[in-house]
Amino acid sequence: MSEALDLGLRAQAAAIAAGEADPAQLLEAALARIEQRNPTLNAVVETFPERSREMLAAAPPGPLHGVPIVVKDEWPLPWRAQRFGAAELHVKTEPAESGPYRALRDAGAVVVGVGNMHELGAGSTGNTSWYGPARNPWDTARCPGGSSSGPASAVAARLVAGAVGADGLGSVRFPAAYCGLTGLKPTFGRAAMDGHHMAPVTTLIVSGPLCADAADCRLLGSVLFGEELTTGDAAGLRIGVVRDAVSEDVAPEVREACEAAIEALRAETGGEVVEVELADLEAAAVAAIVTINGESTTGIAPADLNDLHPELSPLARASLKYRMLVPGAAAVQAGRVRTLMRERLAALFERVDVLAWPTVPAPAPPLEAPLVELPSGTALADKANVRGAALANLTGTPAISVPVGLSGEGLPLALQLAAGWGGDALLLDAAEALERANGRRWVDSRPAVAESEPAAADPA
Amino acid sequence: MAGSTDPDDFVPAGLAALGIEADEAELALIGGLHQVFWPAILDLLALDTKGVEPERCPDLSAAPR
Repeated sequence: MSEALDLGLRAQAAAIAAGEADPAQLLEAALARIEQRNPTLNAVVETFPERSREMLAAAPPGPLHGVPIVVKDEWPLPWRAQRFGAAELHVKTEPAESGPYRALRDAGAVVVGVGNMHELGAGSTGNTSWYGPARNPWDTARCPGGSSSGPASAVAARLVAGAVGADGLGSVRFPAAYCGLTGLKPTFGRAAMDGHHMAPVTTLIVSGPLCADAADCRLLGSVLFGEELTTGDAAGLRIGVVRDAVSEDVAPEVREACEAAIEALRAETGGEVVEVELADLEAAAVAAIVTINGESTTGIAPADLNDLHPELSPLARASLKYRMLVPGAAAVQAGRVRTLMRERLAALFERVDVLAWPTVPAPAPPLEAPLVELPSGTALADKANVRGAALANLTGTPAISVPVGLSGEGLPLALQLAAGWGGDALLLDAAEALERANGRRWVDSRPAVAESEPAAADPA
Repeated sequence: MAGSTDPDDFVPAGLAALGIEADEAELALIGGLHQVFWPAILDLLALDTKGVEPERCPDLSAAPR
């Protein structure tokens, strides 16, 4: 059954539907593989074999019937409250049927484990978590990306073929980029979000799929959307590029890989590359940070911060307290910048179909020192990463990260494509066109850990 | 009166005004965060947004009307 586990998401679903794979054996193989590979990765923080078996026994026919899925530690399950990667949350959480859980259950999927995440969702690297950091399967000394660190690590190591992450400032796209996966940040409000403790207040966070390729993201995304993300045609794609820090202040090998990918996408679609202006991207990123910081501290009184859980990390404690010092005028200004950028993007997407720039400016940094080397100098990975990602969250637009190469050190490189509101399916079409253009070279690449298969640990 | 954004002044004073306690280690970390984020927040506040009328309860799933 390990052969079926090594298939992509849609191939697993198709094999089960055709009677070529036994979903019960597939589930046991996934549990065995988690047991085998997870100790070096810390991607999955909890499994619940009996719950998963019960879920499979009750699984209805559906597009993901019998397919094992990992869900980020950001939503409750009926038997488990989310921890948000932290020792403590300032809101009461309880086991519940969250939106993503219901969507998966109704599609026949089986939740096989909970994915690790960056503590409180507050980082792009995944190097801090109450559970200990998840590790990047391409190099376990490197960051897997955050905050959906565990879901990405789990899919890259082929513990499962699909995982549900969440993206508030890039948290699906960063780990997709660092782990060589495809990750979709949907248009705001389209994907299942119920049950998230910030759902009532957030204007930035969405759930999104992490899979090996775009077609698998289309399948899992359709389940999360509750509607089919239909396959279309990216012919004549107008690709906007911005000559700004997001595309210029990046590691040379990132720039080369992304420029080659953009040209390959243009050629494959018979489209055109258009240089466009998009000012104030840095301000947009800061506006998004100010906004999410405000939303994440909703309901927290200053005095609550004098009684923080002792196992909350020092940086998380400091960050929570510092958020209280950000002036209200910044939040108001963030609202104005949001409107400004939404208007600019609306005008821009009249001229181009997608915008393209690197998802992250450098490959995955070391877990012990999450710094990246850029033409402008050494930078904190968090600060450098957010400037190219937050615009989609601030404006509500969709974006996708697609793998486009490997660095000299064998680490994944990634291109981000962004589209106008509701352009989720178009992004998947474009990502599939890019896969065709490069012969699926990068989406079919696997880290060594995903190739190893000691027979003794495999029940099949 | 001259203002100060020096974390040695701003951070302890701000936390004290809110009644938030912090030990030396936390103050050092918060000061580091302040040095990273405060210039960016000032840049945000300085951005010319005159004439931009913020959307009220925007529908973020769609383009602005």
